[in-house]
Amino acid sequence: MPPATARTKRPTPAQLAPLATRQVVAAPLLPQPLIERLLAVAMERGGELAEVYIERALLTAVILEESRIKSAQTGLIQGVGIRVISGAKVGYAYSDDLDEAALLRAARTAAMIAQGGGSEQSFKVSRTPSPSYYKVSLPLADVDVALKAELVLRADKAARRFDSRVKQVNGSYVDNTKRIAVANTLGHYTEDTQDLCRIGIQVVAEGKNKERRTGFYGGGGRVSFSHFDAFTPEQVGREAARQAVATLGAAECQAGPQTVVLAPGWSGILLHEAVGHGLEADFIRKGTSLFAGKVGEKVASDLVTVIDDGTVANSRGSINVDDEGVPGERKVLIEKGVLKGYMYDSLNAKLMGQRSTGSGRRESFKSMPLPRMTNTYLAPGDHSPEDILKEVKRGLYCAHFGGGQVDITNGNFVFEVSEAYQIEDGKIGRPVKNAILIGVGPEALKNVSRVGCDPMPDPGMGTCGKDGQSVPVGVGLPTLRIDNMTVGGTKVS
Amino acid sequence: MNNYEQLAKRIVQRAKKKGAKQAEAFLEVGRQSSCRVRDGEIEDLTEAASKGVGLRVITKDNRLGFAYTSDFEPASVDSFVDRALRLAQTAAPNKLNGLPSAKELGKLGETGELYDQAVAGLAGDWKIKAALEMEKAGKAVDARITTFASVGAGDYVSEVYVASSEGVSAGYSGTYVYLFASPVASENGQLQTSSWLDYKRFLGDLDTPESVGQEAARRAVRMLGARRVKSQQVPVIFDPLMTASFVGNLADAADGNSIYKNSSIFVGKLGKRLAPESVTVVDDGLLKRGLGTAPFDGEGVATRRTPLLEKGVLRSYLYDSFTARKAKAKTTGNASRGYSSLPHIGTNNLYLEPGTRPPEELIREVKSGFYVTAMLGRGADAVTGEYSRGANGLWIENGELAYPVQEVTVAGNLLQMMQDVDAIGSDLQFRGSVGAPSVRFKQLTVSGD
Repeated sequence: MPPATARTKRPTPAQLAPLATRQVVAAPLLPQPLIERLLAVAMERGGELAEVYIERALLTAVILEESRIKSAQTGLIQGVGIRVISGAKVGYAYSDDLDEAALLRAARTAAMIAQGGGSEQSFKVSRTPSPSYYKVSLPLADVDVALKAELVLRADKAARRFDSRVKQVNGSYVDNTKRIAVANTLGHYTEDTQDLCRIGIQVVAEGKNKERRTGFYGGGGRVSFSHFDAFTPEQVGREAARQAVATLGAAECQAGPQTVVLAPGWSGILLHEAVGHGLEADFIRKGTSLFAGKVGEKVASDLVTVIDDGTVANSRGSINVDDEGVPGERKVLIEKGVLKGYMYDSLNAKLMGQRSTGSGRRESFKSMPLPRMTNTYLAPGDHSPEDILKEVKRGLYCAHFGGGQVDITNGNFVFEVSEAYQIEDGKIGRPVKNAILIGVGPEALKNVSRVGCDPMPDPGMGTCGKDGQSVPVGVGLPTLRIDNMTVGGTKVS
Repeated sequence: MNNYEQLAKRIVQRAKKKGAKQAEAFLEVGRQSSCRVRDGEIEDLTEAASKGVGLRVITKDNRLGFAYTSDFEPASVDSFVDRALRLAQTAAPNKLNGLPSAKELGKLGETGELYDQAVAGLAGDWKIKAALEMEKAGKAVDARITTFASVGAGDYVSEVYVASSEGVSAGYSGTYVYLFASPVASENGQLQTSSWLDYKRFLGDLDTPESVGQEAARRAVRMLGARRVKSQQVPVIFDPLMTASFVGNLADAADGNSIYKNSSIFVGKLGKRLAPESVTVVDDGLLKRGLGTAPFDGEGVATRRTPLLEKGVLRSYLYDSFTARKAKAKTTGNASRGYSSLPHIGTNNLYLEPGTRPPEELIREVKSGFYVTAMLGRGADAVTGEYSRGANGLWIENGELAYPVQEVTVAGNLLQMMQDVDAIGSDLQFRGSVGAPSVRFKQLTVSGD
């Protein structure tokens, strides 16, 4: 990646003002002796493991509305989460107050979970080196906010120029420079700096008879700011506008089973919902996932290989180490349709006699880690996207997607299709509106009949929610054909 | 005046001194504790205290800046004030930017009690006992309840302060207490779950742990054997929880921010009849004992009772002071926020007024239809009104709940759905800050086989 350059054509007021955010991430997180003391206090009543998680994050956001910057925002999040594990029981306490007394109080509170007593053991930690999948040339927090504002202004201009029917453009650019440190009573101490950014543009187009359609596009990742030299805001604005305009005049969507073809990229959230969540170890251990006890069984078509990979360079879901200090990994979850394994955090791994797969993630110091996905992909197959489409006589082409949701227990998932077209005789026909796909994970994957040769990660838009915790994720899917997929619509023949 | 109130004032003063035309600090302090259990034992216990403050500044040339921090060290607070002011330079000037004036702030209404000493003083083991009781009661309902995805209880005590250069200096304390249970029922290799909860300000208003556990279990067990149905258009009944989410979709369409951007199906519909006379939807910030009750909103404006729909007629949009200025209207006291965000439009206590008929009667009149008890997906798109969600529930045959249904969707259009409300139950309930009774729609599209 080329270094970020402060390239701009005209000086803006913010450039003339001194930089707001310099040096903020350079401060030390916590002194090591204090961390070791907290570990000792956390173990005072017994327990098998104690962990101290320290976080300091600086966020910047720029919001665009009506072709101008509505507001510029910044925030500081810092705090410490202390966890004590005793058997299958967990005590957790956190504090956003970093003074020693407050932290010791948190450690004593977390310690209450263990019923033993009297341990006066001390703990030493030493730094464990971690891999590096996302080095940035300049922390995003240190990039001049005027450059961030310029990105969304450029996207707005491109979206409005795309078509006169574009009536509204809402935009945002958000970044986060987050430093974490994790120390535990096994003696490990790990640090990581996680930069993350995303531009997002929403467009409303208006057609005849006041018909309104929306489009959304965006992306980013754990990247240097210069990422947007190649992934340009103009491209983002035009794509959002294209979606909104393309779906004007859409017909009602036919309800019922159909052959569907999914466009590559962001469609990967289908995998994320249909199988990903059901392979997270907490649901497996508790017997609440329909994938529990199915390792070695056929759960998908032969064409389906699913990988969760936290090591993809600069991807939104990548992690050098997870939020328990375990290095990120590449894991094959399903290979040629056969279930290979689950995603483990340390606690569930221990209770299930497995090892952590570096999947323990948390939203912030306020939350306990949970087994989570990172970047979840379907491996490419051998069919060209053109051939896949050509073979379908009647069906639904799903070009772009909203969000999805899954009920882990019965496996029902939905997947909102924001840009869809009828397929007629192998060709893309009229746009249809209000389409949603619904299925049960393993059944949908057994009906995968074509996998394209066009691997395509999403542009870096995804945020996954679980138990009220949001974490950034990547997804990816080649062009995919699924037969007999239930399409939710409004028209019944 | 306590320390936090003073801190909020001091931040505002510093911002003014540093050149802000207007400044507003919104400060929150809270302590929370929660517990989950599994198989008769504690699974986890969490306890914490947290705090934070957000600062909104308007510069002399009408630019808007915002910063937040949880670090209350004096040096850190000073630098955070400076950051908000510097950042504002990136935003565009806008004459409509501004904090609510003294007139807009209004006189604070009568909220009644917001703070329950019984919740604030709950014994440490209350939530453990409550969670264990829920689990036990749930398992006792049916042998097919094999486990729980999660079952727990918790409480939260908060203080909120707001101070501004326009004369606000106010605060309040509130309590919250909740129970939740998600049991798993299993039979013939099929797993089903449900989710049931209660969430109140007062311990005395909270359902008993036993009843929450039992209801959760009943809802999971009755889904065993669920299957798909054919695609068809039929009458559909939403249970109170599902109706609450539908009512939330109506409030989204009334969001003043979407109105001035021409991005809602409610644009231009003020004063028009959108639903039958039986439909009245109200947002009430002063509802006695309501979870969302508060004397002022996220920018210090007095909350109030705002009917959105009155006897089927659209009466009001929801505004904060900025969106009201855009629309040449008046704020309705619906600025919603935490300390880490600028105000956005939200509801206080939002509800659909109940009808007079028990929900059983609504079901009895349906020959063939769908009673929806759980949904997946986000619901309506306020821009287009399109509504499409995954749905679970029970099929109605000849006025009786006949068999469980899953893996289907219900779809329609919000404006059409409003017109199609053909019966409203008497069973209004609040399990959170949005309340609703059962509602029957004349017809929605169910997609399945």
